[in-house]
Amino acid sequence: MSLTVNGQAAAIPDPPTLQTLLAVLHLQRPYAVARNEEFVPASAYQNCELIDGDRIEIVHPSAGG
Amino acid sequence: MQDTLTLYGRSFQTRILLGTARYESPAQLIESIEAADPALLTVALRKQVQGGLQAGQSFWNILRKANRPLLPNTAGCNTVKEAVNTALMAREVFETDLIKLEVIGDDVNLQPDPFGLVEAATELVKQGFRVLPYCTDDLVLCRRLLDAGCEVLMPWAAPIGTGQGPRNPKALRELRERLPDVPLIVDAGLGLPSHACQVMEWGFDGVLVNTAVSRAIDPVRMAKAFAGAVQAGRSGYLAVPMPVQELAVASTPEIGKPFWDEASRFVAQETA
Repeated sequence: MSLTVNGQAAAIPDPPTLQTLLAVLHLQRPYAVARNEEFVPASAYQNCELIDGDRIEIVHPSAGG
Repeated sequence: MQDTLTLYGRSFQTRILLGTARYESPAQLIESIEAADPALLTVALRKQVQGGLQAGQSFWNILRKANRPLLPNTAGCNTVKEAVNTALMAREVFETDLIKLEVIGDDVNLQPDPFGLVEAATELVKQGFRVLPYCTDDLVLCRRLLDAGCEVLMPWAAPIGTGQGPRNPKALRELRERLPDVPLIVDAGLGLPSHACQVMEWGFDGVLVNTAVSRAIDPVRMAKAFAGAVQAGRSGYLAVPMPVQELAVASTPEIGKPFWDEASRFVAQETA
């Protein structure tokens, strides 16, 4: 059972929700998340259950033109 | 007389939009922002590499310190789905409905994909975004984007990051004439302050520059130069230029010229 976070393999946390995963990662705000290329709003983290093979992407503010 | 740029009902005191990418240091970015005094700052979203989470945080701190309205982009998106999901993430992170919509159709010259652009704009407007599409100078595409609900358009001058200046001046000027009431911001491809001044003289409402500033040897000075050029061009447009003449017209009065006899000239003309 595994997933990828920004392209890197990661274990599915327990309980297997996006909220648990993000708590484990100790990210600094602000950030936003996509699961399998679909945006997940912050309000949905708690109920977003992770399954084997999920691809999680976490993005932060960055320089842009 | 007050001359403000209005985008989606919001007024701005200046007409330059500045990108935040490709500066040598955070200090240089901060000083360039101060020098350009931009209406909006463009920003992006990126994944952080492993162990590099602080980079995002330090950039965020710069933005907070700059305290300017932000315009997030969907740079690098090649599909409608990528662009829409990037916009949704940007809205959450930057807490703004404004989005600079990029859907790239060609990876070599980073040319907008007109079909994807219209589709993505339609979806984003439905979802409550205020979309500023990075588009080409094609009139029909621009009309479709307006039909999709875009209230501002950002036609390119030349491919992103090239600094070539307006590649197709006639198309840009025609676009300006055909869409007189739509805020048009020339985005991408400007390299010199004179390019910015030129498009402002043509009546464009603003310019968006990034590489032209950040890749100059002295970005802070260049930021200032662009700000001045945009102001000069805008004033030139508002002042309404003189009509171009085919033949020379002396600007200094003829009458009272020394070494010259008015009467003899009159005689000479009669006999000619």
